[in-house]
Amino acid sequence: MHPARHIVLSALLCLLLGSPAVRAEFIIFSSANSRVDALSHEQAEQLYLGRRSALPDGTPANLVDLPAGPLRDRFYLLLTGKNPGQIRAWWSRQVFSGRALPPREASSLEEMRRWVKGDPGALGYLPSGEATEGLKVLLRLP
Amino acid sequence: MRRLCRRFRRATMLAALLLAQNSHAQAPDVHLSGFATLGAAVSDRDDMWFYRSGLNKPGSDRVDLGSDTLLGLQGSLKLGDSGDLTVQLLSRENTRGNYDPRIAWAFWRYDVSPALSIRLGRLRVPFFMLSDSLNVNYANPWVRPPEEVYSLNPFSELDGIDLLLRLPAGRLELELQPYFGAGRIKLINGGTAELRDVRGLNLALIGERFSVHLGHGSGRLAVDWGDPGFRALSTALRDAGGDLVTLAERLAGRKGQASFSSAGFQWDNGRQLLIGEIVRRRADRYVNSAHAWYLTAGQRIGAFTPYVGYARQRQDRPVAHATIAHPGLAAGFEAFNVSRNDAQRSITLGTRWDFARNAALKAELSRSRVARDAWGSYFPRDAGGTQPGGRTAHLLSISLDVVF
Repeated sequence: MHPARHIVLSALLCLLLGSPAVRAEFIIFSSANSRVDALSHEQAEQLYLGRRSALPDGTPANLVDLPAGPLRDRFYLLLTGKNPGQIRAWWSRQVFSGRALPPREASSLEEMRRWVKGDPGALGYLPSGEATEGLKVLLRLP
Repeated sequence: MRRLCRRFRRATMLAALLLAQNSHAQAPDVHLSGFATLGAAVSDRDDMWFYRSGLNKPGSDRVDLGSDTLLGLQGSLKLGDSGDLTVQLLSRENTRGNYDPRIAWAFWRYDVSPALSIRLGRLRVPFFMLSDSLNVNYANPWVRPPEEVYSLNPFSELDGIDLLLRLPAGRLELELQPYFGAGRIKLINGGTAELRDVRGLNLALIGERFSVHLGHGSGRLAVDWGDPGFRALSTALRDAGGDLVTLAERLAGRKGQASFSSAGFQWDNGRQLLIGEIVRRRADRYVNSAHAWYLTAGQRIGAFTPYVGYARQRQDRPVAHATIAHPGLAAGFEAFNVSRNDAQRSITLGTRWDFARNAALKAELSRSRVARDAWGSYFPRDAGGTQPGGRTAHLLSISLDVVF
């Protein structure tokens, strides 16, 4: 490899690893009393792209999103392979074509946990390593 | 005033009843969102106006803020676990030249199953691949979808019913959307156009990077042209009598049949994107038959997405054919056919800049050449002045798109 490119790559890697958003893997979770025990990557992707509106057991899904920011962007990139610009364009199409309602936006990780705990149809996501008492892990990303 | 209060109270009670259906009995699940574009277009021609046929009114200032500027507000109210009400208000320059808001969507949706939804009310007709995001410019790469293609069918709303059926097809998803209904639009100079008994089917195959669209719809067409040129021609043809009365009846009326077909694809790997679409309009009278296509390629470079595109519309059949002996009438009839033909070709170079979350700034330059026997997307500034046919025009467009 060309040394200059090597330096650039290392610098990029440092930059990326320096941000906790990128180091984190994610878990997708539901309330502990949800009737669903696991989600496939594909099912989770369809849910978070608004192409499916119910959990595998037929319960209508209530998706929760983290506030706009690097954590949310990283989650969508891992789950759907789409960058933030693509995701925003995609969701604006879904919403303004009346196909799907977007996930409800929680103001913090704490609020997301609280909402999901209280609703058997709710889904949320957290960087793995965050506390998960009272929650059920349905999928680990990547 | 009292009646208004009573009406308001009744509406509140109705809303409360609807909300009570919400099984979770939480706060009402209302979702509000919106989109807006502030756009400006300026052409290098001072003898003709750029204009979006069937959508807005030609002629304003040298810098036209009316062709792209718009504001849309949408509210959705969840009803129970599997239904919702959605209303969208849209304000943009219309063919009357004002910005009066109108209801672009108002439908009730019910999810029969996770794979099947039924919608009833005012819906978007999926005549084009990008019909769904027609006014949501933020969702599209360009300042506006290519005029050559998107001017071929100005009907965007349908009062009726549609079904959305989603079927898994391996890693892909197949979406079938049959629809039925009627639509009505206002044309410039007080004209109107109506599509009734519209029935069609839209088919989309959606993958992670690649999606394909196929659509076909048809219906009964009624057109009442309002422009003075048409009025004069119609009167003269009827006065001339004989076959020319029949000809006048082929230019406007309520007995038309029209169909519209489209096929398109979108490919986006996160870095490069490629979009293409081909459409065809067929009508037996009142409007011409034509086909059009475009191809756009873009490349994401950081927050910028430069793109280049080519688009072309060609006429297949003019509004009507006739051999007219009287030279004045023949010229008037020819001029009418030309003014109803949007054929042109254009090349566009532009870039999108995602400078903030939920906001994009776009700038593009188009070079259009109007077909000899057409007006393309231009309108003569003076009725007797330069005609757009065969002319070349450059159009610079800048827009700021947001979603919220």
